[in-house]
Order: sequence, then C-alpha cells, then structure tokens
Amino acid sequence: MSMPQPEGASRTHGGIEPPVGLLAELTHRCPLQCPYCSNPLALVRRSEELSTAEWKRVFDEAAELGVLQLHLSGGEPTARPDLEELIAHARSRELYCNLITAGVGISEARLDALVAAGLEHVQVSIQDVDPEGCDRIAGYPDALRKKLAFARAVRARGLPLTVNAVVHRHNLDRLERMIELALELGADRIEVAHVQYYGWALANRAALLPTRAQLERSLAVVERARRELEGRLVIDFVIPDYYARRPKPCMNGWGRAVITVSPDGRVMPCHAAHVIPGLVFANVRDEPLARIWYESEAFNRFRGTAWMKEPCRSCPRREIDFGGCRCQAMLLAGDPEATDPACELSPEHARILALAEAESQAPPPPFLYRTLAAGRAPREPAPAA
Amino acid sequence: MILDEACVVAPKPGVRLRFDPVRGRHVLLAPERVLFPCPTTVEILERIPPGGTTIARLVDGLAQEYDAARETIAEDVLALLGQLAKDRLIRVEREDRDVDAAA
Repeated sequence: MSMPQPEGASRTHGGIEPPVGLLAELTHRCPLQCPYCSNPLALVRRSEELSTAEWKRVFDEAAELGVLQLHLSGGEPTARPDLEELIAHARSRELYCNLITAGVGISEARLDALVAAGLEHVQVSIQDVDPEGCDRIAGYPDALRKKLAFARAVRARGLPLTVNAVVHRHNLDRLERMIELALELGADRIEVAHVQYYGWALANRAALLPTRAQLERSLAVVERARRELEGRLVIDFVIPDYYARRPKPCMNGWGRAVITVSPDGRVMPCHAAHVIPGLVFANVRDEPLARIWYESEAFNRFRGTAWMKEPCRSCPRREIDFGGCRCQAMLLAGDPEATDPACELSPEHARILALAEAESQAPPPPFLYRTLAAGRAPREPAPAA
Repeated sequence: MILDEACVVAPKPGVRLRFDPVRGRHVLLAPERVLFPCPTTVEILERIPPGGTTIARLVDGLAQEYDAARETIAEDVLALLGQLAKDRLIRVEREDRDVDAAA
C-alpha cells in the first residue's frame, strides 16, 4: 500500500532527496526548566528570534523545497503570540502542522485559536505521573494538573494526541503508569524516550542515567504493553544510547529527512549539530533554505557514506544506522567521523558502558536546571568521557 | 480487523492526503508519519467523503467507473481498507459503534 521512500522522486540534485520534515524551534523561551532539555546550553534570547514575517518566509521556502510536515517546537512554541498566525500560514502552504508543547499556561481560548488556524496533531510532554516528581523535573509548580487538563482539552477538540514521556532514573520505575495515563487521556501514541545525552542532558548525565536493571525492566514493560495494547495505543520507544549494542539511525541520516531551524534562523541537520567544531551553519536571514539544504558544506559534510571510517565504512548496516550520531561521536569519541560509541563495534563502547554503569549506581548529583543564566554561566566542562 | 461491505469508513482526524508537486505524487500525512500511497489507494481515499460512506457504496462507484466485476473490486477494496484501518489512517464504524477504538 505504501512505502517509506518515494520511488522515482526528483533526482535533479545529485541524488539528494528533499527533506520531509522541518523542525521549527520557534523560541527557546519556556516556562519549564527540565534538566534534559534538547536545546543548547547557550539559549537564544527573545530579541534574537526570527520575526513573524521571517518565519512565514521560511515556511514558504520549506514548502517549495518539498517539506511536508512542520514540527512547531521550542522552547515552548506557544510562548510566541503569533503561533496561530504562523500555523494558518503554514496550512495555506499545505504543510502538516504538529505542535510539540509543554502544555502549561495555554488557555482553552488559545487552544481554540490554534485549532481554528489549522493545527493537526499535538505532542504534550509528561515529566512524571507523580505530581511531585513532575514538578521537580520540570522546575515548575502544579505542572502535571495543567498538562492533563491541556491534553484532555486537545482530545475534546478531536485532535490526535501523542504523549511525550522522557524517561530516566527518577521516573523510569513508574513507566507502566505513564502508559496507562496516555491510554486514559485518549492518546493515539506515546513516545517513551530515554534521555539522549546532549546539551543540558549531558551536563546532567550523572543525575539522569538509569541503571541497567531499570533499563531492562523498562524494555520488558514496553514489550508487554505493546502486546496488550495493540490497536489501541502505539508505543514508540527510544533506548538509551549508552546501553545500546547498535547506534540509533540518528535523524534517519544526516541531511536526509529533516531540516532544523533555530530560533535565530540558523539552519542545522539536527538540533545538536552545533557541538561539532568547524561546521558553519547558514542562516535563513542570509540564504534560501533550498541552497542551504542542497549545497551548504554543513549539510553535505556527513551525507551518504563516503565520509565514514572503519568499522562503519565496510559495515553491512552503514545505510541502516548511518554510523549512528555524529554529535555523539564528537562528544564521546572526540571525532565526528568516528563510529558512534553506542555501537558495540566502536573501540570506545566498553568505556562508555562502564561509565554509564558507574554513574547510574552512584548517588545522583543535584540537577542543573535549564535557565538562560545557568546556560551562560562558566562551569566545569561536561564529563564527556 | 476484518471489514465487510456494511462498514462505514471515514477520514481520520489528523490524517491528510495531498498532492505533492515537488515529488510529483500524492502523500498521506499523519502524526509523525509520511506515506507515499499507490495510485489505487489514492483513488479510494479520494472517494471517501468527509462524513464517511459504506464500503458497499465505494465498491459500487468503482465497479461503475471501471466497468469491472463487482466481486473482484470488493475483494481488493476490502483488503486495502483493512490495511489502512490497521495502520490507523482511516476510521471504521459498524452498527453505530466505533470499532476503531475497540479493535
């Protein structure tokens, strides 16, 4: 009936396909302070954000480039008062509009406006099913009650809902209840994602890494829930890299499916790519999106397989997982061309695994909460290795 | 899910079929998914009205349009809609009961 990749698609760009998705980080402002936030430590200030007109032009260029789905993210995208205007504009270009939100501080009237503008799918984060745990992780009072009310309001308007559950050592033991909560909310999907250790999460790694026993239990929970809830709830599961045997196919390949635009207009193959030294990211303020996607050095740097070293170069899985994540190879192996240390074929793998086991069994240090000031304060370098 | 011709099929909220001029083909957009449906799937999806219709009516329309044996068309349409329902890309109702959620 359908296939993951189009056949006979345009080959006018030397075999490079257009992106299917655009991740629009509309703002880095957010009422929550989650210590695993995927935003960079150096958060973009409000005064540096793209204007309404600039974002509309980005969406125009994205539609012409071949982007099909728009992921409106942040920070907290509803912090932008022009969100409904941006959604209406994106829909006028037939872009599919997905909102990725914390779900706090959004009135029913605002939600009505977003739906009227053409919003099509909502992903709401749930930090924990335990109210105190939720507040502690989010660094925000009464977060859970507000999130649940918002999620119910989304379903009451007939929109499909996905619950985003980021899991780690402080909430993993309540995974069953998170899945039950998603079901009770009428969600179609739950994304159970183990923390990925970049940016804030890397700085908080020793506080967040689950033990191997916790991880194994979570695998069993997901497996059983998938069996029992088949046809009722889809469970997407992202394993923690440090305990993996094979790396994740990061971004489905560098510059292959997704294009990311930061709040200040920098265009990146993924939201963490700034950790790779020497990569220069063009800005939508200076260059058209299509030229950046097809021609920029940053997007071509790790496309295909020619850049690979051994053991990736001759690996039968090189076009399945693309050697894993370039940012993680940089952060953990000190070389963005290296095999992602999540892969057991990486010479760094055993060291990373030992580190995960040691950190996860030690008492957790306090969180470094995500704030503008904390991200810009001088600190000890993250314990990369 | 086993479908029969009495089932009512309807578009699912959050799932949208559109033509993509860049790739020169139809795309089916759903939460966190982009699918590239075959021409037969496109034809059937385009025939499902916003308020839904019975599979029998879809089959009647196709049999008339293509002057083909109704039985053959019914078999293909049921198989295809069954797959779309399994993939959560359409809604299916039967006997005033939404079996989509209970399946």
